Amino acid sequence: MKSRTTWRWNPVRGEYESGDPPSLRGTAEISAIDAFSNKTMLLLGGTGFVGKVLLAMVLDRFPELKHLIVQVRRKKNMSGEQRFYSEVLQSPPLRGIVDQIGETVMRNKVQVVEGDLDQPLCGIPAEQLEQLKGKVDIVVNLAGVVDFDPPVNESVEPNVYGTRHIIELVKLLDARLVHVSTAYVAGKKNGRISEETPIEGYFPRRGEKSENPGERFSVDEELNWYEQFVKETRESRATNPRPVRERLREGGMQRADFWGWTNTYTYTKSMGEQLISATPDLTYAIIRPAIVESSLRFPFPGWNEGFTTSAPLVLMGGEGVKGWPVRKDGPLEIIPVDLVAAGILIVTAAVLCGKNKRVYHLASADENPIMLPRLVAFLGMNSRYKHKHKKSGNRLANIWKAYVETQVISVQSLQSRRARLHRGLDVIHAALTLGKTLFGPTRMGRYLKSLRDTRRQIRAQEITLDKFLPFMFHNSFIFETRNIRQAAGMLTDDDLKRVQWDPETIDWADYWVNIHTKGIEKWIRPGFTGPKK
Amino acid sequence: MNKAAFYDLDGTLLSCNLVQMQGYYARNHRSILKSAYQFSKVVLSVPLFFGLDLYSRATFNRFSFRAYRGMHRDRLIGLADDLFEVTLKPAIFRQAEALINTTKDLGYRNVLVTGTLDFQVRPIALHFGIDEVICNRLEFRNHIATGRVLSPLLAELQKERSIREYAAEQNIDLAESCAFSDSSADLPMLSAVGHPVATNPTRRLRRVAVERHWPILELRENTSNFPPFLSVAKVH
Repeated sequence: MKSRTTWRWNPVRGEYESGDPPSLRGTAEISAIDAFSNKTMLLLGGTGFVGKVLLAMVLDRFPELKHLIVQVRRKKNMSGEQRFYSEVLQSPPLRGIVDQIGETVMRNKVQVVEGDLDQPLCGIPAEQLEQLKGKVDIVVNLAGVVDFDPPVNESVEPNVYGTRHIIELVKLLDARLVHVSTAYVAGKKNGRISEETPIEGYFPRRGEKSENPGERFSVDEELNWYEQFVKETRESRATNPRPVRERLREGGMQRADFWGWTNTYTYTKSMGEQLISATPDLTYAIIRPAIVESSLRFPFPGWNEGFTTSAPLVLMGGEGVKGWPVRKDGPLEIIPVDLVAAGILIVTAAVLCGKNKRVYHLASADENPIMLPRLVAFLGMNSRYKHKHKKSGNRLANIWKAYVETQVISVQSLQSRRARLHRGLDVIHAALTLGKTLFGPTRMGRYLKSLRDTRRQIRAQEITLDKFLPFMFHNSFIFETRNIRQAAGMLTDDDLKRVQWDPETIDWADYWVNIHTKGIEKWIRPGFTGPKK
Repeated sequence: MNKAAFYDLDGTLLSCNLVQMQGYYARNHRSILKSAYQFSKVVLSVPLFFGLDLYSRATFNRFSFRAYRGMHRDRLIGLADDLFEVTLKPAIFRQAEALINTTKDLGYRNVLVTGTLDFQVRPIALHFGIDEVICNRLEFRNHIATGRVLSPLLAELQKERSIREYAAEQNIDLAESCAFSDSSADLPMLSAVGHPVATNPTRRLRRVAVERHWPILELRENTSNFPPFLSVAKVH
């Protein structure tokens, strides 16, 4: 919604300001349009949430780009090319763009190669590699597994070995690399996170009191540990009754925790970064987005398909969860997906011009923080809205969910609340079991079943909440974003009309209520039947 | 040259008023006691509102927006959805959506011109798929409403001034544009465009419309009786 007055909202000051927005001005040190013209870009991981938006944006904003090569993994009986044309191009963010530029132009410009990160050289067939050699100017890598706590092998293979394969590929093609990682590789830290911290040998615990003297982190040693661990776990299958997957999951989390990372994902992603920075003669930039959320403007407001975003929390809030363990003074580091895509394109341009830094954080709190208690209040208002008019379900529960406000609580009180709740459920369960013996299973069975369902739901909510605790309670980050601002400032004015970096203008209240929450309801809720198991 | 369709909101597309909206926010404070206090304040001031409205629309608006003083902007925006669902959506006139879609199909740029506040208009604009809104906004200091409205206050003559400014800025031909309103307070705005339509008109506006041969439209009815300049163009 555009509003036609001279007033515009200043989200930082919390006031309307008069006057038109400051026109975007760059120093024109580099030109993204020139940087992209007649260049060939190889995109890895273009099928994901960020990937699709990036694909749409580069096609829409930079028609000067000569060739775009997209690597797509084949799925069982569907070739990469089929998958690209039937799945990716038909997805909501790309459909409009494809219609706009036309199918033939699209086919001339975009080439699909099949490949798989688990294979050397990303599994791109040899004859295609020959074709590509010397032709690709830049490789943009968005591939990776974003699950927080998968079995450790499912994270290490793509995020560490996969990165190694990408480095090989980039070297072979004699190209430059833009690698997308995550801001949370910083691990369990607090306060402002610099972009200048050395990458190689980094582990979050370094320099802290808990560090043992002489302790050092090396990817090679970690991989030795990893091979050993996986081998031992698999071999002990006969003697250990617990499922191997479960033990691999736990092992990964423990190892990550040992070094000070929040989960397996950030641990393996950091190792991937370290491999890149250790490679000699490689021109690269590492992009670290924070939590990627619904799009602000492009391709349309509210597009979302990510599950490792705040979507589960928003859905839980809508279900009527009241107590939220968050930091009162902490921001949630979120960034809309279209800003991430724009950021990647800006950095790519900088890399093509040879004027890049090593690391770019893409986050919002440095310029325009959204504090967690405000988000908790929004979750409460959303629950009010949803339950006030709900006709189904328990009426009393609906009233509770509609009229009781959400609260910011501490982890201790969360634990005691949970304990109380479970004790209460135990009592009900005992009563129902007694009833079952007295009156028979036919009359009490459905109550027991609904109790079981409720418990499962509560359990799932607890697990989701626990996963997010490091980002909401245990740690409070502000990722510095000086580098991306500097990169955007180097562009020409014409570039800035196409891609811009402006998280300082986001009106968080409007974004959260009218864009993000509605986007989640529209795009995520339908595929979400009950909390994720 | 572009053309636009300017819509008034209250009474034109849906039936509601500022006091109803205020009552809603007053009822939904964080604490129940405060809700009761605020709500009774709104109820008690209803006679005053009536008097003020008769005296001057602008004074009425200014006075009524003071009720939001001290509220956090997040809450005003966050509850607007609920307000829309409860109070506003059921009050939308039957043919309103059809009319908006018709003008859109005919290449008019739909613009809402209303004295309602921006956060209340937002869900309505989203519902109708209207992109552009000219409306009032509250003044905030550090996210808290001060109870004042930012100038220019959109009421009476200011509506006409605003659409003229908008037209100049967006290269819009007012003679080709249309405007819809229910109240004689919007006569200046209606007179400014080439195709004014008295929509669910009040008695005074009806009289003026008959005098000036303006089409009269009832959106409350089941069947559409859109004025000829809309239906004729549709045939082509």
